[in-house]
Amino acid sequence: MHAQAAAEALPVTGTPDARALAAGQLIRQATGGDLAAFEEVVRRMQRRVYGFAYQHLRDLDEAHDLTQEIFVKLYRNLARYDADRPFEPWFWKLAANTTINYRRKRVPMPTDQSADHPLSGDDAARSAHDPVLVDALAQLDPAYRLPILLHYYADLPLAQVAQSLNLSVPATKSRLHRARALLRNSLAEAEEAGPK
Amino acid sequence: MTTLTCARARVLLEGYVDGDLALTDPDTAKAVRDHLTTCADCRRQHEQAVSLPFRMKALRSPAPPESLVAGVMSSIAPTPQGLRRAWGLLVPEALLGAFILWYLSGVDGLTALASGAWSDLQGLAVWGSGSAPLPNIPAVDLLLLAAFIALTSLAAYHLSVLARLDQPAPPHIREHRRA
Repeated sequence: MHAQAAAEALPVTGTPDARALAAGQLIRQATGGDLAAFEEVVRRMQRRVYGFAYQHLRDLDEAHDLTQEIFVKLYRNLARYDADRPFEPWFWKLAANTTINYRRKRVPMPTDQSADHPLSGDDAARSAHDPVLVDALAQLDPAYRLPILLHYYADLPLAQVAQSLNLSVPATKSRLHRARALLRNSLAEAEEAGPK
Repeated sequence: MTTLTCARARVLLEGYVDGDLALTDPDTAKAVRDHLTTCADCRRQHEQAVSLPFRMKALRSPAPPESLVAGVMSSIAPTPQGLRRAWGLLVPEALLGAFILWYLSGVDGLTALASGAWSDLQGLAVWGSGSAPLPNIPAVDLLLLAAFIALTSLAAYHLSVLARLDQPAPPHIREHRRA
């Protein structure tokens, strides 16, 4: 039932039943054109979506733009959402497509930018809790970074990642394995090289 | 007992960590396990592989800016000013419509208008060919024509405003950019 799935997408405080009910109602109301309900959806999802965008682009301004674009696209496409299906994979599929299109429009690519122009002091401080992993992620090809972020950062199950990226489950698993192997190599190399 | 090279063990590591390898190929999974007990480099890689999902989940991102929600909402919601302007256009449109209806005054008026316009056009065509002087078009016909043009332009603009209100505007990209 979509209310349950929507509840997973929209973390709120309160008892699980209250959460599911509130989130389900919000999605229904937003789909019916209720702007206040949509605003609440944005409010509840913004941290997760912004974090996903930031980890993918590694730029605060670009993350803001992408997050905004994802939510505007969500609003424009709400009429296409089938309320009988889970909200979460549908939403992240839209988010993934928006991200891919955003990257296509964007020049220069973030990996080039991060290699040539290190993050500002502010940005670096924000990600300083695991800079080695952040750097390794930045070096990853976007085709590998997106499934990794959807699975481990946005916390989507494998099947939903596959659905979001229009891939089969085995293909997604293979891509995740390859991405993890690349990250693991980068992390091991960074560790051998010692602290920066 | 199967022995593995480091390169082979590292290729199998992700499946080994996920537990897939133990399900699909227990012998190879055991070979990976044995290799890890003897190879310190691969053991380090294994530790990285095991910790990676946890490190990914623990990855911290900056909090979204305060302006994010407002930015999204202003991108999709019609502004009150736009709505007022859209409704305000109804007044001149109604006045022009009332004037035209008064002039036409029913079917007779419409017939008179059509025949008048036709004769005006014929007169203009003859004048254009250079064989007759400029026809004397009644001032009220010119006034009516101007009213029609004004009404059509206003209605087209009105429709475009309403269409923009119906379709959310694109996000105000980069308005928030830091100086």
